Amino acid sequence: MSSGNVSTVYISVIDDVISKVRDDFISYGVGDAVLNELQALWEMKMLHCGAISGNIERPKAPAAASGGTPGAGATPPVHDLNVPYEATSEEYATPTADMLFPPTPLQTPIQTPLPGTDAGMYNIPTGPSDYAPSPISDMRNGMAMNGADPKTGRPSPYMPPPSPWMSQRPLGVDVNVAYVENREDPERTGQPSELTKDFLMMSSGKRKRDEYPGQLPSGSFVPQQDGSADQIVEFVVSKDNAQQLWSSIVNKQGTATKAPSSTKGTTVAPTIPQRDGIQDEYNDQFYFQGVPTEDYNTPGESSEYRAPTPAVATPKPRSDVGDDDEPPLNEDDDDDDELDDLDQGEDEPNTQHLVLAQFDKVTRTKNRWKCTLKDGIMHLNGRDVLFNKATGEFDF
Amino acid sequence: MATFELYRRSTIGMCLTETLDDMVSSGALSPELAIQVLVQFDKSMTSALEHEVKSKVSVKGHLHTYRFCDNVWTFILTDATFKNEETTETISKVKIVACDSKLLDTQQG
Repeated sequence: MSSGNVSTVYISVIDDVISKVRDDFISYGVGDAVLNELQALWEMKMLHCGAISGNIERPKAPAAASGGTPGAGATPPVHDLNVPYEATSEEYATPTADMLFPPTPLQTPIQTPLPGTDAGMYNIPTGPSDYAPSPISDMRNGMAMNGADPKTGRPSPYMPPPSPWMSQRPLGVDVNVAYVENREDPERTGQPSELTKDFLMMSSGKRKRDEYPGQLPSGSFVPQQDGSADQIVEFVVSKDNAQQLWSSIVNKQGTATKAPSSTKGTTVAPTIPQRDGIQDEYNDQFYFQGVPTEDYNTPGESSEYRAPTPAVATPKPRSDVGDDDEPPLNEDDDDDDELDDLDQGEDEPNTQHLVLAQFDKVTRTKNRWKCTLKDGIMHLNGRDVLFNKATGEFDF
Repeated sequence: MATFELYRRSTIGMCLTETLDDMVSSGALSPELAIQVLVQFDKSMTSALEHEVKSKVSVKGHLHTYRFCDNVWTFILTDATFKNEETTETISKVKIVACDSKLLDTQQG
């Protein structure tokens, strides 16, 4: 039947459209998931109105997928992208915080291991809604992924947006480098493709994350060496009046870190200074970084959630408004009976017989009209018929 | 006009338009991107009709109304008979909308 042929053509059109707008979707920062949703919805509507048949659709789908067009093949790249990105962001999140402080003789201990979400939150404040990816950040993402396909290096809708410093690299890096040793610069100039990696790891021969004590046994004391209460030297040296010093240190730390529990301030057994969030020093450090503190404390307001979802009203591609405004005078000028009115009232596409085509030639001799049409879609008796060429002979 | 928006009124075009409407309303798509999809549909549909469809049709009927405006012919036929290789269908009233194919040819080079 011809309907089978129509179905085939329609499916090829769908596949063609989907594959060719993929680049547009990428450049708009919209992921494959949305594109797949578009295709699924479109095909579903076509099935519902009978324009394509499910039987034809089934064998067609794998063929289309193998053609590299739509389908499940599109999903894995998104995951590929996501996983390395998460890992990378956690890599750089902590060192960036430490970078603000020049290294002290004793290494600053890494903060108490936070619940996993907090580590992730470090990178949220650094990334305001930088949703539309610049080509640079696209490239950068692609390069930063170890082994990730550069083509997939674009943000997916459900991952945190890339930090702005990734695109504004020269500025941000310079600021950071000023705090670290200059020694990093010559190392970095080596291989361009390694730039991002070096920066993210921040190690570059200086401090590797692996060197930090990963997990502190609970109850062990970690001396504070970050500059605000560095009395650990005195504490270590003068052991004779250790108790006295200890209490004074604890008091200082209590005020310095604004530890909420004042009872602990005096009687505490040695504990790890509070590093878990709301009022510890890291908050201030992040504040110096120019990061709004409320983002840190209330993830609900983070930029990720503030990213605007345009609730814009849909602009109808075809504006039918003009039809209503058209004065009835013009419409009725050329005929007297009710057929044209019927035509105007019949907007239901399923009941209206309609031919959409291009004309090559239209001629008339007396009341006999001849026309040649091409590339047409006919909707007759609820069925779609396509034609490549058509000839018409009408008498008026 | 690089392509005709004509085919958007077809079944497949209406289905696409509805889908895009839904997705823009839900915020999944930006209106600009939706327009891009429609433009691509215009191209893909035109190309498919040109290259993938081989069938021929002949139409006879009484011409009720003709109109030529903005390079678009509109015919309203009554008691029209459509013949192709397989079937013959008689339609009591049908509207034909046809754009000038030369416009497309010159645009496409």
